[in-house]
Amino acid sequence: MTDADIIVVGAGPAGSCAAIAAARSGKRVVLIERGPFPGSKNMYGGVIYPRILDELIPQWFETAPIQRWVIRRSTMVLSDTGALNIDYRSNAWGQAPYNGATAYRPDFDNWLAQQAVAAGADLICSTTVTGLLRDDQGRVCGVSTDRPDGDLTASVVIACDGVNSFLAKQAGLYPNANADNYTLGVKETLSLSKHIIDERFGVRDNQGVDIEILGGTSGVNGGGFIYTNLDTIAVGVVLKLSKLSAQKKRPEDIIAELKRHPAIAPLVEGGEVVEYSAHLIPEAGLEMMPKMVADGLLIAGDAAALCLAAGIWLEGVNFAMASGMYAGQSASAAIDASNVSAASLKSYTNRLNETFVLQDHKKLRKIPHLVLSDRVQHRYPAFVTGVVERMFRVDNPTPKPGVRRIVREERKKAGIKLSELVRDALTGLKGFG
Amino acid sequence: MTIWPDISFQDRIDTSEFRIHERAHITVNDDSCRGCTTRECVVACPANLFVPTSDGGILFNYENCYECGTCYLVCNKEGAITWTYPEGGFGIVFHRT
Amino acid sequence: MTIAVCIKWVNYSGPVESDTPDERFAGFSFADQAALEWALRIAEKSADEVLVLTAGPVGAEAVLRDALSRGAHRAVRIDIDLTSDSSVIARSLVGAMSQARMVWCGDYSNDRGSGSVPSFIAAELNIDQALGLVALELPENANASFTAVRRLDGGRREQLLISGPAVLSVEGSTIRLRRASLKNTMSASKQEIQVITATGDRVETPALRPYRPRPRVTLAPIGLTALERVKHITDTSSSKGHGETVHAEPSVAATLILESLRKWGYLP
Ligand SMILES: Cc1cc2nc3c(=O)[nH]c(=O)nc-3n(C[C@H](O)[C@H](O)[C@H](O)COP(=O)(O)OP(=O)(O)OC[C@H]3O[C@@H](n4cnc5c(N)ncnc54)[C@H](O)[C@@H]3O)c2cc1C
Ligand code: SF4
Ligand code: SF4
Repeated sequence: MTDADIIVVGAGPAGSCAAIAAARSGKRVVLIERGPFPGSKNMYGGVIYPRILDELIPQWFETAPIQRWVIRRSTMVLSDTGALNIDYRSNAWGQAPYNGATAYRPDFDNWLAQQAVAAGADLICSTTVTGLLRDDQGRVCGVSTDRPDGDLTASVVIACDGVNSFLAKQAGLYPNANADNYTLGVKETLSLSKHIIDERFGVRDNQGVDIEILGGTSGVNGGGFIYTNLDTIAVGVVLKLSKLSAQKKRPEDIIAELKRHPAIAPLVEGGEVVEYSAHLIPEAGLEMMPKMVADGLLIAGDAAALCLAAGIWLEGVNFAMASGMYAGQSASAAIDASNVSAASLKSYTNRLNETFVLQDHKKLRKIPHLVLSDRVQHRYPAFVTGVVERMFRVDNPTPKPGVRRIVREERKKAGIKLSELVRDALTGLKGFG
Repeated sequence: MTIWPDISFQDRIDTSEFRIHERAHITVNDDSCRGCTTRECVVACPANLFVPTSDGGILFNYENCYECGTCYLVCNKEGAITWTYPEGGFGIVFHRT
Repeated sequence: MTIAVCIKWVNYSGPVESDTPDERFAGFSFADQAALEWALRIAEKSADEVLVLTAGPVGAEAVLRDALSRGAHRAVRIDIDLTSDSSVIARSLVGAMSQARMVWCGDYSNDRGSGSVPSFIAAELNIDQALGLVALELPENANASFTAVRRLDGGRREQLLISGPAVLSVEGSTIRLRRASLKNTMSASKQEIQVITATGDRVETPALRPYRPRPRVTLAPIGLTALERVKHITDTSSSKGHGETVHAEPSVAATLILESLRKWGYLP
């Protein structure tokens, strides 16, 4: 008899949802986390889209530790001195069923893991999984940990161990783990009074704002973000690893420069840094995804590169929660069918293919690399802000130039070929359209 | 100019909680670094833990590490960095991120 | 018999925003961890039972479970407000540790603790105390006496011989707490923790005053000038015959010195 039916490695959003789903179907589940509590190692930008929880935790919004409900989403394009802001506000997002919410991960992940415990899973913290156990036929049959007497056996192991997933790598499922496919996120949590945040961002009560920023990262391919919590704001940048060292710019200096941009400074002014944090993002989507199934083993969440990083619009927590849930369900079904071979566990990838998890990824396949491409990063911001600047500028008595002429002139000034522009526009349309 | 409290790098790092274990979870092989001209780690490590020494080596401290994984991904030298997670329960502990 | 270990639930770091620590950022200090490790080592040889106690609200049970997973046999929580007087806490702890032949504590908790709980416990139990230990040597035979080194003010050290019942408090650097096995970690979450209500009484200690020698009357000498009289009273040189050099074996010399001091009225 095995020590457990299912071992879930990592109590992030993927792992906790896997544990909830498996425990609900009556399995003996052990959820192992290396941090002293779930969420202690986890950092992100700041917005969760938790609708997928409707299925696992009805009325989740009544107990989840939410900071603010996002009712405004903005995308800013920054040139050296200008900013183009696309802003959408929906007060409907401030009420059930809600859209997005800001939350601290040490709060949210801990809460989610407690839901797994309530569903019957055993949560073991402060325990690092160091490897996979295999039976004599090479099938995964458990994990080893860094505790004395630390081996634990199970029918299925679900690896939800995040972006560095040493388990997926150890299982040989990760051919494309190189620096080109990752971005580094660094972030400052700034304390500001609730009153000031409400005023600066035009919200009240527990309404929140999410701002993604293109440009403003000191020439390092990437993007920035600002999110509002109750009495702090998160300011950070996401930087392409392979470009970071080439540009000889340090991450904290890039944040400092972003904070100094004339369009950003008024938003962050006076905020005292109360926490600094850093984490990697698997950025390349389908281009880097590992095989997610092996005999006795499933991979979910960031460990499977399921984070949807459409450039700078990061959705990872919802993809992690969904993939974790499907992994938990498939593992349980496979155990019920007394067959935990890769073929039997394949129902997991089928599920991912049928749902938004892989469909969104397929749709946006080319977007991550497009948004982080040199053109979009270095030339388009100057181009679009240039166009808009001239459209809005009043140069009396000179008559207004036609939009077409402005676009042509600004495009040339920014050094963009028409053919490139058309191609990128098509990729963008195919992705987002 | 805008005003916000300037923060030294040490003050920045001090905003994070590190539960330090006596075992170094990451080690750097100084010999490999001596021949390295690109020094990706020095720029990229968000905790600024890779410090070039005057004699051409690299001084590395593991204590204030965010366990992000950047260094082993950007370093192109096979075997320069040995990277593991700290013992369970130790290392970085985030509060409000 | 029982070996008791008292551990305190404290914030590891960061601002102390309330008197009840946030479970996620709290635990027990290195000093308390060292105390537990010493107790576990002695108990391994003597087959004593290791009883861990903590005084605090229900969240404090996390540190008891941690201690259980590392090998403690039984756990008791005294339900009490963490801000209570250390004397009250000490009495409550004592009330829950009947039969303890030894009590181990950390020298002081890392949240502004004063280290007074161990001495209150010793007073309440009316047994010896050896506090602020920086080094220990455990005997082969667990019931034999053993030596420990204690820190004194000004960097000095005191060596103590510990035999019989005692309260010991140790520094965190003396030893590192063992890691719990996986199986114990899993079972500790289900182990029972006994909860006891605090007594609310303070420990009675005898009133203490610093030692002051009795004043001695010295008559002023007659017939000299004012300056000479002052000199005569304050002068320690040979004029009053107080200067005396002793040449003898240390033990004999010590006796002679004490005699002289007594003769001159410096000692009772
Ligand atoms: C800067 C940044 C900004 C982001 N912004 C957003 C955003 O705004 N919205 C959004 O939805 N997503 C965002 N993301 C992405 C999101 O954070 C991730 O996609 C999501 O956390 C993935 O969840 P997960 O459960 O797969 O992995 P994780 O959250 O990384 O959880 C993995 C867990 O496994 C544990 N673990 C790892 N290895 C082991 C081991 N060997 N043994 C035991 N435990 C182990 C870890 O401690 C951790 O708790 C952002 C990410 C970053 C870095
Ligand atoms: S760690 Fe790698 S990148 Fe850094 S100096 Fe050494 S060899 Fe170069
Ligand atoms: S893991 Fe991250 S923080 Fe730690 S040394 Fe490497 S780059 Fe620096």
